[in-house]
Amino acid sequence: MNLKARTITAVGAGLVLTLSACGGGNDDGGAASSGELAGAELIVGSKEFTESILLGQITAVALENAGAAVEDRTGISGSATVREALETGEVDMYWDYTGTGWVNILGNTTTDVPEDLYAAVAEADAENGIAWLEPANFENTYRIAVPSSFAEENGLSTMSDAAAYIQENPDDATVCAASEFINRDDGLPGLEEAYGFEFNNVVELDLNLIYTQIGEECTFGEVFSTDARIVSNDLTVLEDDQEFFVEYQGALTLRQETLDEYPAIADIMAPISEALTDETMTELNGRIDNDGEQPRDVAEEWLESEGLLG
Amino acid sequence: MTDVGTRVRTAVVPSAALPRHRSLAGYLVMPAILASACLIMYLYVSSRELDSIEARSLNAAALATATWEHIQLTAVSTLLTLVIAVPLGILLTRPFTRRFRPYLITLLTLGQAIPTIAVLVLLAVAFLFLGFQAAVVGLVLYAIIPVLLNTMVGLEQVDESVLEAGRGMGISKSGVLFRLELPLSVPIILAGVRTALVINVGTATLTTYINAGGLGDIIVAGLSTNRVLIQIIGAALTAVLALLIDYLAGIAEDFLRPKGL
Repeated sequence: MNLKARTITAVGAGLVLTLSACGGGNDDGGAASSGELAGAELIVGSKEFTESILLGQITAVALENAGAAVEDRTGISGSATVREALETGEVDMYWDYTGTGWVNILGNTTTDVPEDLYAAVAEADAENGIAWLEPANFENTYRIAVPSSFAEENGLSTMSDAAAYIQENPDDATVCAASEFINRDDGLPGLEEAYGFEFNNVVELDLNLIYTQIGEECTFGEVFSTDARIVSNDLTVLEDDQEFFVEYQGALTLRQETLDEYPAIADIMAPISEALTDETMTELNGRIDNDGEQPRDVAEEWLESEGLLG
Repeated sequence: MTDVGTRVRTAVVPSAALPRHRSLAGYLVMPAILASACLIMYLYVSSRELDSIEARSLNAAALATATWEHIQLTAVSTLLTLVIAVPLGILLTRPFTRRFRPYLITLLTLGQAIPTIAVLVLLAVAFLFLGFQAAVVGLVLYAIIPVLLNTMVGLEQVDESVLEAGRGMGISKSGVLFRLELPLSVPIILAGVRTALVINVGTATLTTYINAGGLGDIIVAGLSTNRVLIQIIGAALTAVLALLIDYLAGIAEDFLRPKGL
Protein backbone atom coordinates (compact mmCIF):
# COMPACT_ATOMS: atom_id res chain seq x y z
CA MET A 1 0.00 0.00 0.00
CA ASN A 2 2.70 2.38 1.05
CA LEU A 3 4.91 1.54 -1.87
CA LYS A 4 1.93 1.70 -4.19
CA ALA A 5 0.81 5.04 -2.84
CA ARG A 6 4.31 6.31 -3.29
CA THR A 7 4.50 5.01 -6.84
CA ILE A 8 1.21 6.65 -7.68
CA THR A 9 2.39 9.87 -6.08
CA ALA A 10 5.63 9.71 -8.02
CA VAL A 11 3.96 8.96 -11.32
CA GLY A 12 1.33 11.64 -10.71
CA ALA A 13 3.94 14.17 -9.73
CA GLY A 14 6.02 13.32 -12.77
CA LEU A 15 3.03 13.81 -15.02
CA VAL A 16 2.06 17.08 -13.46
CA LEU A 17 5.63 18.31 -13.62
CA THR A 18 5.88 17.41 -17.27
CA LEU A 19 2.60 19.12 -17.99
CA SER A 20 3.46 22.24 -16.08
CA ALA A 21 6.85 22.36 -17.76
CA CYS A 22 5.08 22.25 -21.11
CA GLY A 23 2.78 25.03 -19.97
CA GLY A 24 5.80 27.23 -19.24
CA GLY A 25 4.81 27.93 -15.67
CA ASN A 26 7.26 30.52 -14.35
CA ASP A 27 5.99 34.01 -14.01
CA ASP A 28 9.15 36.00 -14.49
CA GLY A 29 7.20 38.58 -16.43
CA GLY A 30 4.62 39.02 -13.69
CA ALA A 31 4.55 41.37 -10.77
CA ALA A 32 7.79 42.08 -8.96
CA SER A 33 8.71 39.43 -6.41
CA SER A 34 8.47 40.53 -2.81
CA GLY A 35 11.27 38.14 -1.91
CA GLU A 36 10.06 37.12 1.56
CA LEU A 37 10.57 33.47 0.70
CA ALA A 38 13.78 33.82 -1.28
CA GLY A 39 15.74 30.57 -1.13
CA ALA A 40 12.82 28.51 0.15
CA GLU A 41 12.09 25.23 -1.60
CA LEU A 42 8.49 24.21 -1.13
CA ILE A 43 6.38 21.35 -2.48
CA VAL A 44 2.69 22.07 -3.00
CA GLY A 45 0.30 19.12 -3.20
CA SER A 46 -3.44 18.82 -3.70
CA LYS A 47 -6.23 16.30 -4.02
CA GLU A 48 -7.38 15.20 -7.45
CA PHE A 49 -10.48 17.29 -8.06
CA THR A 50 -10.71 20.65 -9.80
CA GLU A 51 -11.11 22.90 -6.77
CA SER A 52 -8.25 21.30 -4.88
CA ILE A 53 -5.89 21.53 -7.86
CA LEU A 54 -6.87 25.15 -8.39
CA LEU A 55 -6.19 26.00 -4.74
CA GLY A 56 -2.82 24.26 -5.06
CA GLN A 57 -1.98 26.34 -8.11
CA ILE A 58 -3.05 29.58 -6.43
CA THR A 59 -0.77 28.72 -3.53
CA ALA A 60 2.11 27.80 -5.82
CA VAL A 61 1.85 31.05 -7.80
CA ALA A 62 1.69 33.13 -4.62
CA LEU A 63 4.70 31.41 -3.08
CA GLU A 64 6.74 31.70 -6.28
CA ASN A 65 5.85 35.36 -6.36
CA ALA A 66 7.38 35.66 -2.91
CA GLY A 67 10.61 34.17 -4.19
CA ALA A 68 10.22 30.49 -3.29
CA ALA A 69 11.14 27.65 -5.64
CA VAL A 70 7.93 25.65 -5.78
CA GLU A 71 7.61 22.05 -6.83
CA ASP A 72 4.15 21.29 -8.17
CA ARG A 73 2.68 18.01 -6.97
CA THR A 74 -0.98 18.85 -7.29
CA GLY A 75 -3.53 16.23 -8.24
CA ILE A 76 -2.71 13.38 -5.86
CA SER A 77 -5.62 10.99 -5.73
CA GLY A 78 -7.52 10.51 -2.49
CA SER A 79 -7.71 12.57 0.70
CA ALA A 80 -5.94 9.93 2.75
CA THR A 81 -3.00 9.72 0.33
CA VAL A 82 -2.39 13.47 0.22
CA ARG A 83 -2.59 13.69 3.97
CA GLU A 84 -0.04 10.92 4.33
CA ALA A 85 2.20 12.69 1.83
CA LEU A 86 2.02 15.79 4.03
CA GLU A 87 2.84 13.89 7.21
CA THR A 88 5.78 12.10 5.64
CA GLY A 89 7.16 15.24 4.01
CA GLU A 90 6.49 14.18 0.41
CA VAL A 91 4.61 17.46 0.11
CA ASP A 92 4.91 20.53 2.29
CA MET A 93 1.34 21.79 2.11
CA TYR A 94 -2.09 21.24 0.59
CA TRP A 95 -5.61 22.62 0.98
CA ASP A 96 -8.01 20.60 3.05
CA TYR A 97 -11.45 21.20 4.53
CA THR A 98 -12.45 21.59 8.17
CA GLY A 99 -15.15 18.91 7.89
CA THR A 100 -12.74 16.43 6.32
CA GLY A 101 -10.26 17.21 9.08
CA TRP A 102 -12.84 16.62 11.79
CA VAL A 103 -14.36 13.43 10.40
CA ASN A 104 -11.75 11.72 8.20
CA ILE A 105 -8.45 12.82 9.68
CA LEU A 106 -9.30 13.18 13.36
CA GLY A 107 -11.79 10.31 13.31
CA ASN A 108 -14.70 12.09 15.01
CA THR A 109 -18.35 11.42 14.34
CA THR A 110 -20.72 14.01 12.97
CA THR A 111 -22.97 14.03 16.01
CA ASP A 112 -20.55 16.08 18.07
CA VAL A 113 -19.48 18.87 15.73
CA PRO A 114 -18.21 21.81 17.79
CA GLU A 115 -19.47 25.37 17.34
CA ASP A 116 -16.11 26.64 16.07
CA LEU A 117 -15.10 23.74 13.88
CA TYR A 118 -11.96 25.39 12.52
CA ALA A 119 -10.55 26.12 15.98
CA ALA A 120 -11.31 22.58 17.17
CA VAL A 121 -9.69 20.98 14.15
CA ALA A 122 -6.64 23.25 14.25
CA GLU A 123 -6.15 22.57 17.95
CA ALA A 124 -6.56 18.80 17.69
CA ASP A 125 -4.38 18.48 14.60
CA ALA A 126 -1.58 20.52 16.19
CA GLU A 127 -0.83 17.39 18.21
CA ASN A 128 -0.01 15.64 14.93
CA GLY A 129 2.38 18.46 14.05
CA ILE A 130 0.07 19.81 11.35
CA ALA A 131 -0.88 23.48 11.24
CA TRP A 132 -4.12 24.79 9.73
CA LEU A 133 -3.84 28.37 8.46
CA GLU A 134 -6.83 30.68 8.92
CA PRO A 135 -9.62 29.26 6.76
CA ALA A 136 -10.77 30.88 3.55
CA ASN A 137 -14.13 32.54 3.09
CA PHE A 138 -15.65 29.66 1.19
CA GLU A 139 -17.28 26.42 2.13
CA ASN A 140 -17.48 23.44 -0.16
CA THR A 141 -19.97 21.22 1.56
CA TYR A 142 -22.30 18.43 0.57
CA ARG A 143 -25.67 19.57 -0.68
CA ILE A 144 -28.68 18.03 -2.39
CA ALA A 145 -29.72 19.58 -5.70
CA VAL A 146 -32.67 19.24 -8.07
CA PRO A 147 -33.28 20.61 -11.59
CA SER A 148 -34.32 24.26 -11.28
CA SER A 149 -37.51 23.71 -13.28
CA PHE A 150 -38.46 20.86 -10.98
CA ALA A 151 -37.80 23.00 -7.90
CA GLU A 152 -40.04 25.73 -9.26
CA GLU A 153 -42.90 23.43 -10.22
CA ASN A 154 -42.98 21.83 -6.81
CA GLY A 155 -41.99 24.78 -4.68
CA LEU A 156 -38.85 23.18 -3.28
CA SER A 157 -36.22 25.40 -1.72
CA THR A 158 -35.17 23.63 1.47
CA MET A 159 -34.41 20.06 2.49
CA SER A 160 -37.52 20.11 4.68
CA ASP A 161 -39.59 20.91 1.56
CA ALA A 162 -37.88 17.99 -0.13
CA ALA A 163 -38.61 15.64 2.76
CA ALA A 164 -42.30 16.56 2.63
CA TYR A 165 -42.35 16.15 -1.15
CA ILE A 166 -40.68 12.74 -0.97
CA GLN A 167 -43.17 11.49 1.60
CA GLU A 168 -46.01 12.47 -0.75
CA ASN A 169 -44.36 11.29 -3.95
CA PRO A 170 -42.37 8.17 -3.10
CA ASP A 171 -41.98 7.40 -6.81
CA ASP A 172 -39.78 10.45 -7.22
CA ALA A 173 -37.63 9.53 -4.25
CA THR A 174 -34.50 8.72 -6.22
CA VAL A 175 -31.08 10.17 -5.54
CA CYS A 176 -27.83 10.06 -7.52
CA ALA A 177 -24.85 9.88 -5.21
CA ALA A 178 -21.25 8.73 -5.07
CA SER A 179 -20.00 5.91 -2.89
CA GLU A 180 -18.41 8.11 -0.24
CA PHE A 181 -21.62 10.10 0.33
CA ILE A 182 -23.67 6.91 0.46
CA ASN A 183 -21.46 5.39 3.12
CA ARG A 184 -20.48 8.29 5.34
CA ASP A 185 -22.45 9.08 8.47
CA ASP A 186 -22.31 12.77 7.57
CA GLY A 187 -23.67 11.85 4.13
CA LEU A 188 -26.85 10.13 3.05
CA PRO A 189 -27.60 7.89 6.08
CA GLY A 190 -27.39 10.84 8.48
CA LEU A 191 -29.28 13.16 6.15
CA GLU A 192 -32.21 10.77 5.89
CA GLU A 193 -32.29 10.40 9.63
CA ALA A 194 -32.07 14.14 10.30
CA TYR A 195 -34.95 15.00 7.97
CA GLY A 196 -36.99 11.87 8.60
CA PHE A 197 -37.41 10.55 5.10
CA GLU A 198 -35.90 7.83 2.98
CA PHE A 199 -34.90 7.67 -0.67
CA ASN A 200 -36.46 4.59 -2.26
CA ASN A 201 -33.77 4.29 -4.84
CA VAL A 202 -30.10 5.24 -4.63
CA VAL A 203 -28.32 5.47 -7.97
CA GLU A 204 -24.63 4.96 -7.21
CA LEU A 205 -22.44 6.86 -9.66
CA ASP A 206 -19.01 8.29 -10.10
CA LEU A 207 -19.00 11.81 -8.64
CA ASN A 208 -18.46 13.42 -12.03
CA LEU A 209 -21.43 11.66 -13.62
CA ILE A 210 -23.93 12.95 -11.08
CA TYR A 211 -24.42 16.52 -12.32
CA THR A 212 -25.77 15.51 -15.74
CA GLN A 213 -27.92 12.71 -14.33
CA ILE A 214 -30.00 14.85 -11.96
CA GLY A 215 -33.38 15.07 -13.64
CA GLU A 216 -32.57 12.06 -15.81
CA GLU A 217 -31.88 8.92 -13.84
CA CYS A 218 -32.79 10.52 -10.54
CA THR A 219 -34.79 13.43 -9.16
CA PHE A 220 -32.31 14.44 -6.48
CA GLY A 221 -28.52 14.41 -6.52
CA GLU A 222 -25.52 14.87 -4.27
CA VAL A 223 -23.46 17.93 -5.24
CA PHE A 224 -20.54 19.94 -3.88
CA SER A 225 -21.74 23.43 -3.10
CA THR A 226 -18.99 25.34 -4.97
CA ASP A 227 -19.09 23.15 -8.08
CA ALA A 228 -19.74 25.24 -11.16
CA ARG A 229 -21.62 22.39 -12.81
CA ILE A 230 -24.52 23.30 -10.51
CA VAL A 231 -24.85 26.48 -12.56
CA SER A 232 -24.09 25.00 -15.96
CA ASN A 233 -26.61 22.18 -15.53
CA ASP A 234 -29.27 24.60 -14.21
CA LEU A 235 -29.65 22.92 -10.84
CA THR A 236 -31.12 24.37 -7.67
CA VAL A 237 -29.33 23.60 -4.42
CA LEU A 238 -31.69 22.86 -1.57
CA GLU A 239 -31.02 24.82 1.59
CA ASP A 240 -29.93 22.65 4.52
CA ASP A 241 -32.44 24.25 6.91
CA GLN A 242 -31.76 21.79 9.74
CA GLU A 243 -28.03 22.47 9.39
CA PHE A 244 -27.25 18.81 9.13
CA PHE A 245 -24.21 18.94 6.86
CA VAL A 246 -20.87 19.56 8.49
CA GLU A 247 -19.03 22.76 7.59
CA TYR A 248 -16.36 22.26 4.94
CA GLN A 249 -14.31 25.44 5.03
CA GLY A 250 -11.14 25.36 2.97
CA ALA A 251 -7.81 25.94 4.72
CA LEU A 252 -4.17 25.47 3.81
CA THR A 253 -2.57 22.74 5.92
CA LEU A 254 1.17 22.36 6.38
CA ARG A 255 3.61 20.82 8.82
CA GLN A 256 4.26 23.04 11.84
CA GLU A 257 8.02 22.81 11.21
CA THR A 258 7.53 24.24 7.70
CA LEU A 259 5.48 27.10 9.11
CA ASP A 260 8.09 27.73 11.82
CA GLU A 261 10.81 27.89 9.20
CA TYR A 262 8.83 30.12 6.83
CA PRO A 263 6.27 32.08 8.89
CA ALA A 264 5.82 34.38 5.89
CA ILE A 265 3.64 31.70 4.27
CA ALA A 266 0.80 32.57 6.64
CA ASP A 267 1.09 36.29 5.87
CA ILE A 268 1.16 35.66 2.14
CA MET A 269 -1.86 33.35 2.22
CA ALA A 270 -4.04 35.38 4.58
CA PRO A 271 -5.31 38.00 2.08
CA ILE A 272 -5.73 35.29 -0.55
CA SER A 273 -7.84 33.14 1.76
CA GLU A 274 -9.95 36.13 2.59
CA ALA A 275 -10.65 36.85 -1.07
CA LEU A 276 -11.73 33.26 -1.78
CA THR A 277 -15.51 33.41 -1.36
CA ASP A 278 -18.15 30.86 -2.40
CA GLU A 279 -18.92 32.90 -5.53
CA THR A 280 -15.26 33.24 -6.44
CA MET A 281 -14.65 29.51 -6.05
CA THR A 282 -17.70 28.60 -8.13
CA GLU A 283 -16.64 31.01 -10.85
CA LEU A 284 -13.00 29.86 -10.92
CA ASN A 285 -14.00 26.18 -10.80
CA GLY A 286 -16.32 26.85 -13.72
CA ARG A 287 -13.56 28.37 -15.81
CA ILE A 288 -11.75 25.04 -15.49
CA ASP A 289 -14.66 22.55 -15.59
CA ASN A 290 -16.91 24.34 -18.07
CA ASP A 291 -14.56 26.48 -20.16
CA GLY A 292 -11.59 24.11 -20.18
CA GLU A 293 -9.00 26.61 -18.95
CA GLN A 294 -5.82 25.39 -17.24
CA PRO A 295 -5.83 25.64 -13.41
CA ARG A 296 -2.44 27.35 -13.47
CA ASP A 297 -3.64 30.06 -15.84
CA VAL A 298 -6.84 30.62 -13.88
CA ALA A 299 -4.80 30.91 -10.66
CA GLU A 300 -2.35 33.43 -12.14
CA GLU A 301 -5.03 35.58 -13.74
CA TRP A 302 -7.18 35.67 -10.64
CA LEU A 303 -4.32 36.55 -8.30
CA GLU A 304 -3.25 39.31 -10.63
CA SER A 305 -6.69 40.75 -11.21
CA GLU A 306 -7.25 40.87 -7.44
CA GLY A 307 -3.90 42.58 -6.94
CA LEU A 308 -2.77 39.80 -4.63
CA LEU A 309 0.70 39.40 -6.09
CA GLY A 310 2.02 42.41 -4.19
CA MET B 1 -9.60 -1.15 -8.99
CA THR B 2 -7.94 -2.31 -12.15
CA ASP B 3 -5.41 -3.90 -9.84
CA VAL B 4 -8.02 -6.30 -8.61
CA GLY B 5 -8.78 -7.39 -12.12
CA THR B 6 -5.19 -7.79 -13.14
CA ARG B 7 -4.22 -9.66 -10.04
CA VAL B 8 -7.12 -12.03 -10.42
CA ARG B 9 -6.34 -12.63 -14.04
CA THR B 10 -2.67 -13.37 -13.68
CA ALA B 11 -3.36 -15.57 -10.71
CA VAL B 12 -5.87 -17.65 -12.53
CA VAL B 13 -4.77 -18.05 -16.11
CA PRO B 14 -1.85 -20.41 -15.42
CA SER B 15 -4.28 -22.90 -13.88
CA ALA B 16 -5.56 -23.53 -17.39
CA ALA B 17 -2.49 -25.74 -17.69
CA LEU B 18 -3.69 -28.10 -14.95
CA PRO B 19 -3.57 -31.80 -15.76
CA ARG B 20 -6.70 -32.81 -17.58
CA HIS B 21 -7.82 -35.73 -15.49
CA ARG B 22 -8.03 -34.96 -11.83
CA SER B 23 -8.71 -37.36 -9.01
CA LEU B 24 -11.71 -36.76 -6.76
CA ALA B 25 -9.39 -35.28 -4.14
CA GLY B 26 -7.96 -33.06 -6.84
CA TYR B 27 -11.43 -31.74 -7.54
CA LEU B 28 -11.98 -30.92 -3.89
CA VAL B 29 -8.81 -28.91 -3.28
CA MET B 30 -10.01 -25.63 -4.77
CA PRO B 31 -13.45 -25.56 -3.12
CA ALA B 32 -11.80 -26.35 0.19
CA ILE B 33 -9.33 -23.49 -0.19
CA LEU B 34 -12.06 -21.04 -1.21
CA ALA B 35 -14.39 -22.14 1.59
CA SER B 36 -11.68 -21.71 4.19
CA ALA B 37 -10.82 -18.27 2.77
CA CYS B 38 -14.47 -17.26 3.24
CA LEU B 39 -14.53 -18.75 6.72
CA ILE B 40 -11.40 -16.86 7.74
CA MET B 41 -12.90 -13.60 6.43
CA TYR B 42 -16.15 -14.30 8.27
CA LEU B 43 -14.43 -15.09 11.56
CA TYR B 44 -12.15 -12.08 11.31
CA VAL B 45 -14.93 -9.62 10.49
CA SER B 46 -17.25 -10.95 13.17
CA SER B 47 -14.49 -10.78 15.77
CA ARG B 48 -13.96 -7.10 15.08
CA GLU B 49 -15.82 -4.13 16.45
CA LEU B 50 -17.08 -2.45 13.25
CA ASP B 51 -17.71 1.28 13.06
CA SER B 52 -20.91 2.51 11.43
CA ILE B 53 -19.32 2.84 7.98
CA GLU B 54 -17.85 -0.67 8.11
CA ALA B 55 -21.09 -2.14 9.40
CA ARG B 56 -22.95 -0.58 6.48
CA SER B 57 -20.86 -2.49 3.93
CA LEU B 58 -19.78 -5.59 5.81
CA ASN B 59 -23.11 -7.20 6.66
CA ALA B 60 -24.58 -10.37 5.20
CA ALA B 61 -27.33 -8.60 3.25
CA ALA B 62 -25.06 -6.05 1.58
CA LEU B 63 -22.39 -8.62 0.73
CA ALA B 64 -24.92 -11.13 -0.61
CA THR B 65 -26.60 -8.49 -2.79
CA ALA B 66 -23.27 -7.32 -4.17
CA THR B 67 -22.09 -10.88 -4.84
CA TRP B 68 -25.34 -11.84 -6.55
CA GLU B 69 -25.24 -8.70 -8.71
CA HIS B 70 -21.67 -9.54 -9.58
CA ILE B 71 -22.56 -13.09 -10.59
CA GLN B 72 -25.40 -11.80 -12.77
CA LEU B 73 -23.17 -9.23 -14.45
CA THR B 74 -20.52 -11.85 -15.14
CA ALA B 75 -22.93 -14.53 -16.33
CA VAL B 76 -24.97 -12.35 -18.67
CA SER B 77 -21.95 -10.60 -20.15
CA THR B 78 -20.06 -13.85 -20.69
CA LEU B 79 -23.07 -15.51 -22.31
CA LEU B 80 -23.51 -12.56 -24.68
CA THR B 81 -19.80 -12.58 -25.39
CA LEU B 82 -20.01 -16.23 -26.44
CA VAL B 83 -23.08 -15.66 -28.60
CA ILE B 84 -21.28 -12.88 -30.45
CA ALA B 85 -17.64 -13.96 -30.45
CA VAL B 86 -17.83 -17.66 -31.37
CA PRO B 87 -19.96 -17.26 -34.54
CA LEU B 88 -17.86 -14.22 -35.47
CA GLY B 89 -14.71 -16.27 -34.97
CA ILE B 90 -16.09 -19.02 -37.21
CA LEU B 91 -17.02 -16.47 -39.88
CA LEU B 92 -13.58 -14.93 -39.77
CA THR B 93 -11.91 -18.28 -40.49
CA ARG B 94 -14.06 -18.94 -43.58
CA PRO B 95 -12.25 -18.20 -46.83
CA PHE B 96 -14.70 -15.50 -48.02
CA THR B 97 -13.83 -13.19 -45.11
CA ARG B 98 -10.11 -13.32 -45.80
CA ARG B 99 -10.01 -9.87 -47.41
CA PHE B 100 -11.32 -7.79 -44.51
CA ARG B 101 -10.25 -10.10 -41.66
CA PRO B 102 -7.15 -8.15 -40.57
CA TYR B 103 -9.05 -4.85 -40.51
CA LEU B 104 -11.85 -6.21 -38.34
CA ILE B 105 -9.42 -7.76 -35.89
CA THR B 106 -7.40 -4.54 -35.68
CA LEU B 107 -10.59 -2.63 -35.01
CA LEU B 108 -11.69 -4.98 -32.24
CA THR B 109 -8.24 -5.02 -30.67
CA LEU B 110 -8.22 -1.23 -30.70
CA GLY B 111 -11.57 -1.33 -28.97
CA GLN B 112 -10.10 -3.49 -26.28
CA ALA B 113 -7.22 -1.10 -25.77
CA ILE B 114 -9.66 1.51 -24.45
CA PRO B 115 -9.86 1.12 -20.66
CA THR B 116 -13.17 -0.37 -19.53
CA ILE B 117 -13.83 2.50 -17.19
CA ALA B 118 -13.61 4.84 -20.19
CA VAL B 119 -16.10 2.73 -22.15
CA LEU B 120 -18.50 2.70 -19.20
CA VAL B 121 -18.20 6.41 -18.54
CA LEU B 122 -18.52 7.16 -22.25
CA LEU B 123 -21.81 5.26 -22.33
CA ALA B 124 -22.98 7.21 -19.32
CA VAL B 125 -21.84 10.64 -20.53
CA ALA B 126 -22.59 10.42 -24.23
CA PHE B 127 -25.78 8.38 -24.17
CA LEU B 128 -26.91 8.86 -20.56
CA PHE B 129 -26.89 5.08 -20.52
CA LEU B 130 -26.50 3.63 -17.01
CA GLY B 131 -27.04 0.55 -14.94
CA PHE B 132 -26.97 -3.17 -15.58
CA GLN B 133 -27.44 -3.04 -19.35
CA ALA B 134 -24.78 -0.40 -19.88
CA ALA B 135 -22.41 -2.42 -17.73
CA VAL B 136 -23.07 -5.55 -19.79
CA VAL B 137 -22.35 -3.64 -23.01
CA GLY B 138 -19.02 -2.47 -21.59
CA LEU B 139 -18.06 -5.91 -20.31
CA VAL B 140 -18.96 -7.65 -23.58
CA LEU B 141 -16.93 -5.17 -25.61
CA TYR B 142 -13.99 -5.95 -23.39
CA ALA B 143 -14.27 -9.75 -23.32
CA ILE B 144 -15.02 -10.35 -26.99
CA ILE B 145 -11.41 -10.31 -28.17
CA PRO B 146 -9.99 -13.25 -26.18
CA VAL B 147 -12.90 -15.48 -27.15
CA LEU B 148 -12.82 -14.39 -30.77
CA LEU B 149 -9.09 -14.85 -31.14
CA ASN B 150 -9.12 -18.21 -29.38
CA THR B 151 -11.96 -19.39 -31.61
CA MET B 152 -9.97 -18.42 -34.67
CA VAL B 153 -6.73 -19.92 -33.42
CA GLY B 154 -8.60 -23.06 -32.39
CA LEU B 155 -10.15 -23.50 -35.80
CA GLU B 156 -6.98 -22.70 -37.68
CA GLN B 157 -4.80 -25.15 -35.78
CA VAL B 158 -6.95 -28.10 -36.87
CA ASP B 159 -4.81 -30.29 -39.07
CA GLU B 160 -5.64 -29.63 -42.71
CA SER B 161 -5.22 -33.33 -43.56
CA VAL B 162 -8.03 -34.22 -41.13
CA LEU B 163 -10.33 -31.82 -42.96
CA GLU B 164 -9.17 -33.18 -46.32
CA ALA B 165 -9.99 -36.66 -45.14
CA GLY B 166 -13.42 -35.50 -44.00
CA ARG B 167 -14.16 -33.87 -47.32
CA GLY B 168 -12.83 -36.94 -49.09
CA MET B 169 -15.37 -39.02 -47.21
CA GLY B 170 -18.10 -36.83 -48.68
CA ILE B 171 -18.92 -34.79 -45.57
CA SER B 172 -20.56 -31.45 -46.41
CA LYS B 173 -18.93 -28.10 -45.63
CA SER B 174 -21.08 -27.52 -42.55
CA GLY B 175 -20.59 -31.14 -41.58
CA VAL B 176 -16.83 -30.62 -41.58
CA LEU B 177 -17.29 -27.51 -39.44
CA PHE B 178 -19.59 -29.03 -36.84
CA ARG B 179 -18.25 -32.60 -36.76
CA LEU B 180 -14.53 -32.00 -37.19
CA GLU B 181 -13.37 -28.40 -36.89
CA LEU B 182 -15.38 -27.25 -33.89
CA PRO B 183 -14.94 -30.37 -31.73
CA LEU B 184 -11.21 -30.36 -32.44
CA SER B 185 -10.90 -26.72 -31.42
CA VAL B 186 -13.04 -26.96 -28.28
CA PRO B 187 -10.10 -26.94 -25.83
CA ILE B 188 -8.68 -23.71 -27.24
CA ILE B 189 -12.09 -22.03 -27.51
CA LEU B 190 -12.83 -22.98 -23.92
CA ALA B 191 -9.53 -21.53 -22.78
CA GLY B 192 -10.67 -18.24 -24.32
CA VAL B 193 -14.02 -18.52 -22.55
CA ARG B 194 -12.28 -19.02 -19.23
CA THR B 195 -10.16 -15.96 -19.86
CA ALA B 196 -13.29 -13.97 -20.70
CA LEU B 197 -15.02 -15.16 -17.54
CA VAL B 198 -12.15 -14.17 -15.32
CA ILE B 199 -11.72 -10.82 -17.09
CA ASN B 200 -15.41 -10.16 -16.58
CA VAL B 201 -15.28 -10.95 -12.87
CA GLY B 202 -12.43 -8.49 -12.47
CA THR B 203 -13.73 -5.67 -14.64
CA ALA B 204 -17.27 -5.97 -13.29
CA THR B 205 -15.92 -4.30 -10.14
CA LEU B 206 -15.80 -1.07 -12.17
CA THR B 207 -19.49 -1.07 -12.98
CA THR B 208 -20.19 0.35 -9.55
CA TYR B 209 -19.47 3.77 -11.06
CA ILE B 210 -22.51 3.56 -13.34
CA ASN B 211 -25.03 2.17 -10.87
CA ALA B 212 -24.71 -1.47 -11.90
CA GLY B 213 -23.77 -2.67 -8.43
CA GLY B 214 -21.61 -5.73 -7.88
CA LEU B 215 -18.67 -6.24 -5.56
CA GLY B 216 -17.20 -2.96 -6.80
CA ASP B 217 -19.74 -1.28 -4.51
CA ILE B 218 -17.95 -2.82 -1.55
CA ILE B 219 -14.42 -2.10 -2.77
CA VAL B 220 -15.17 1.50 -3.70
CA ALA B 221 -17.04 2.07 -0.43
CA GLY B 222 -13.81 1.04 1.31
CA LEU B 223 -11.63 3.19 -0.93
CA SER B 224 -13.73 6.33 -0.68
CA THR B 225 -14.10 6.19 3.09
CA ASN B 226 -10.54 5.00 3.73
CA ARG B 227 -11.61 1.74 5.41
CA VAL B 228 -8.98 -0.87 4.61
CA LEU B 229 -11.01 -3.76 6.01
CA ILE B 230 -13.86 -3.07 3.58
CA GLN B 231 -11.43 -2.86 0.67
CA ILE B 232 -9.80 -6.15 1.59
CA ILE B 233 -13.07 -8.03 2.02
CA GLY B 234 -14.42 -6.64 -1.27
CA ALA B 235 -11.27 -7.54 -3.15
CA ALA B 236 -10.99 -10.96 -1.51
CA LEU B 237 -14.59 -11.82 -2.33
CA THR B 238 -13.98 -10.81 -5.93
CA ALA B 239 -10.91 -13.04 -6.04
CA VAL B 240 -12.82 -15.95 -4.48
CA LEU B 241 -15.57 -15.52 -7.06
CA ALA B 242 -13.06 -15.39 -9.91
CA LEU B 243 -11.29 -18.53 -8.70
CA LEU B 244 -14.60 -20.33 -8.16
CA ILE B 245 -15.87 -19.47 -11.62
CA ASP B 246 -12.57 -20.48 -13.18
CA TYR B 247 -12.72 -23.74 -11.25
CA LEU B 248 -16.25 -24.46 -12.48
CA ALA B 249 -15.25 -23.58 -16.02
CA GLY B 250 -12.31 -25.95 -15.65
CA ILE B 251 -14.65 -28.78 -14.74
CA ALA B 252 -16.91 -27.92 -17.66
CA GLU B 253 -13.85 -28.02 -19.87
CA ASP B 254 -12.94 -31.52 -18.62
CA PHE B 255 -16.36 -32.77 -19.64
CA LEU B 256 -16.78 -30.85 -22.89
CA ARG B 257 -13.40 -31.76 -24.28
CA PRO B 258 -13.79 -34.42 -26.97
CA LYS B 259 -12.56 -37.85 -25.98
CA GLY B 260 -9.13 -38.84 -27.13
CA LEU B 261 -7.75 -35.31 -27.08
